[in-house]
Parts: sequence; C-alpha cells; structure tokens
Amino acid sequence: MIKTDIYEQALFETIKRGATEISPDVRSAFEDAIARETNPDAKNGLVATLDSMDMSAVRKNPLCVDTGWPIFYFKVGNQCELEGGFVELENAARRAVAKATKLGYLRATMKHPLTGFDPGNNIGMNIPDFTYQFVEGDGIEMSYAAKGGGSECFGGTRHRIVAFADGIQGIEKFVIDSFVASARAGAVCPPSVLGIGIGGTANVAANLAKEAACLRTVGSKHPDPMFAKIEEDLYEALNSLGIGILGAGGKTSVLAVNVEYAYTHIAGIACATSTNCMIARRASTRIHADGSTEKMQSPMWFGDR
Amino acid sequence: MAEYHLTSPLKEEEIRKLKIGDTVYLSGNAFTCRSRLQRYIFDEAHTLPFDTADRNLLIHNGPIIIKEQGRWKLVSFMPTSSIRFEKWGAKSVKEWGLRMIVGKTTMGAETAAAMKEAGCVHVSPRSVSPNLWIDSIEVEDVYLFDELGSIEAAWFFKINELGPFIVDIDAQGNNYFDNLDEKIAENKRLALEKLGITEDFKFTKLY
Repeated sequence: MIKTDIYEQALFETIKRGATEISPDVRSAFEDAIARETNPDAKNGLVATLDSMDMSAVRKNPLCVDTGWPIFYFKVGNQCELEGGFVELENAARRAVAKATKLGYLRATMKHPLTGFDPGNNIGMNIPDFTYQFVEGDGIEMSYAAKGGGSECFGGTRHRIVAFADGIQGIEKFVIDSFVASARAGAVCPPSVLGIGIGGTANVAANLAKEAACLRTVGSKHPDPMFAKIEEDLYEALNSLGIGILGAGGKTSVLAVNVEYAYTHIAGIACATSTNCMIARRASTRIHADGSTEKMQSPMWFGDR
Repeated sequence: MAEYHLTSPLKEEEIRKLKIGDTVYLSGNAFTCRSRLQRYIFDEAHTLPFDTADRNLLIHNGPIIIKEQGRWKLVSFMPTSSIRFEKWGAKSVKEWGLRMIVGKTTMGAETAAAMKEAGCVHVSPRSVSPNLWIDSIEVEDVYLFDELGSIEAAWFFKINELGPFIVDIDAQGNNYFDNLDEKIAENKRLALEKLGITEDFKFTKLY
C-alpha cells in the first residue's frame, strides 16, 4: 500500500516541477524552432523565452506568471492500493496545490466564476480537475498540467460537429479557421501545441483535444497513418501562415499538432481543438507499489506517445 | 523601424513619434491593472486612490508578488491580454491620462480611437520571458490590495530598461496586427488550397 505522505510529497514535487521546469520534448521543439526561424525579432523572442525558462529551473520560479488551471491526470494500476483510497489522493492533491500556491510556485489564479472571490490557494468547486485512466499493474502515474488562461480563453478551445459529407476537409478547415482566429495578436500564446479531438460526443472530443495538447509527447506521431497524415498536413499548413511567436510574425506557429480520436455517431463527427501555450507546462511522476518514486520525462498518457 | 528608450512619465510629443513596428524599452514609473480594478473604478464608481499624472504608463498584468522579510518580492511578471479590458480601454486612456499601455493581444477600435485623440500607444511583448524582466522591476508600493487582492491590485513599479516591446497601436490609429492579418489571410488561402480545400468550400449546415 502506498502511504499518504509518499503520494502527497510526489504530488507537490510534480506540481513544482511542472510549474518551474520545461519538459525535454518541448525544449527540443523550441531549439528546432530557433534553428529554422528567419525573422530576427521572432528568433530573439524564441531565444529570450527559452533563456527565461532555463532560468526558472535554476531560480525555482514559475515559467510564466499565469500558472493556469491546475489539472491532474492519474493513470492507475488496477491493483494499486493507496492509503486512504482515492478520496484521500484528491485531498492530498488539493493540499499540494495550496502549498505550491503559498510558496509562490503557483499564482492564486482560480476564482469564483460569479463573485470573483479569490480563495488565495487555487482550491474551489471542481478545481483542481481530476481525470483517471485504468491500466494493468499496481502502481500509479500522476501528471500535473497547467492550462494557461491565454491558451484556453481566446478561442483556442472550441468545438464543432462536422458532417460526414464534409469529412477530412471539413475537419481541417475547422481547425485552420479556429487556429488563425485564436492566434491573432498572440492571444493563445503561440507557437502552440495544438490538440485535436475527433469523434465521440462533444465532451469526449474536447477532452481528447485537451489531453492531446497537454499530455502528448511533443514530436510524437499518431500510430494510425490516417491520423498521422492529418497531423503532418496541419503542422505544415499552420506553420506556413506566418503567425509566429506571440502572433507578431514568424515561421513557427505550432510546435506540434496532436490528433486523438474516438468512434462517433453516424450523424456527425464531433471535432474539438485545444491549444496549449508555447511553454506547454506539465510534469509526471510514477509511484511503484513499494512506494519508490521516479520522475517521468513525459506523461505517456496515450500508450507510447 | 526604430528603437526608443523612453522614461515615464511619458511626454505626448515622444509618444506621437512612435510608429507600429517600432521597438521600445521602458524606464521610470508604472502601475499595474487588471479588469477587477477597472470594474471597481469605472463600473462601481470608486475613485482611483492615486494620481497618474507622473505615472502615465499602465502595464496590464497580474504579477506574482510575495512578502519576504517585510519587503515585496516580485516572483514573476508577464504582460497579460489587453483585449479583455477593451470595455474600459478608452475610459482608462482619457480619464487616467495614459500615454502607453503594455499588454498582450492588442486592443480594439474604440481604444485605438481614444489613443489617437489623446496621444497614447499600446505595446506588446515578443517573448514569454519573466526572468529576463523581473530584475528590471522594483516593486515600490501597492494600492487596493485589501479590496481587490494581490493579483488585481494596483502595484507601483519602478522599471529600468524593461523590454523589448513592439508598438502595435500607434497614436495615428494604426494597428500592427491588422496589417499582419492581411498577410496571414493570404497564407491561409494558399494553405487551404494545398490541402484541396477550395475558396468556395461551405460547411454542411447542421445547426
């Protein structure tokens, strides 16, 4: 049985790492973007952003002032036993978020939606958010993602039912229209990690899009060639637009395009997009049944990607 | 496109010289604001508890500031999206006598018109680089902390060569991003064409 103090400490360390350290795959995508950028202002902007991110890891301060919505994903082994059970896991996650806020790793960003009341600790009704996936095994993998206000509030997250009559072209048109509108003047903090959910009900598509944006390893490809081709075509199309870093012009508008899908109803294809900001903050930790913990380089939420 | 190093309080003549695409670095007196402050003043009829005459540089921002050994310490800073404050943009420019607003995502036509009339510009960051900025900012004071909370309060900053920022709305009413939109629209047309999506494509209307 995994003790409470073990998983609570792991949750806190995961939040802290997600808030202050850039993931290796995102860093690598930044280096590629810097190498191919020909607009000098955009290149300087990418370099300045990467420099600042590297300084955050040393100074242990947030990568961006907006530390986002706190979101947790748990990949749980079917035989996993936690002291206090899963109710206590969520309580521990709330305590860890409050602690990280108090110590300045997170900004007190979560407010009451109507009154604007600020609890000062990022804890409130349905926040943080928890998502579970069950797999074989007796350990647990925990991922923390910070979804920034820019990436979520300015149209980077949207949904449309595309008719089968419009097919892949309808899906791609919807994605490109959405992205151009949302990236205007840098609203969603491009270059984005763009997640796309295809199929399922609207909420299934939206969740797949968010998970594809926040959890997929940047640089990974969908194993099904049909979906890999959509990823590749859209990556090329969006990077030909000239939107660039913070929308002020440049070669790289997306760091990645990640598609995930579900089967859908014969009546229509639910499609959703979710942009993650250029920093694409997340961190993951694995806890084994014996209580030993290890840092994960990437969430591996979708199997090997 | 020129580069300017300006000190607040900013003067009208130096602001009217700026053109979209110019780069600025900023020093002097600045204050922060987010929507809660503008709502508090303009919608809830409170009076701004400080004078902006010698502090006509507004930074849209919700900083992370903690108290360490009795002193304010700036942990993180990044200009936030200005377009959300469009509702109060023109009022802020006119009533607070602003000469410059620092923020992301530019602002709308109403604020741009007020800026043209008053002699004010909007500038945007080209990076997300809090650590390259926080050493250029000294936290001097705070107003409305108890009423609005730490993020939404009005913080007084003394800044030193903070930048670079790009002028995206100038005092002639031009918007850098409007110009860029035209190029992006043309690139988008070509990108869609390459994917076999013609200009006359119409979504089947489902609702």
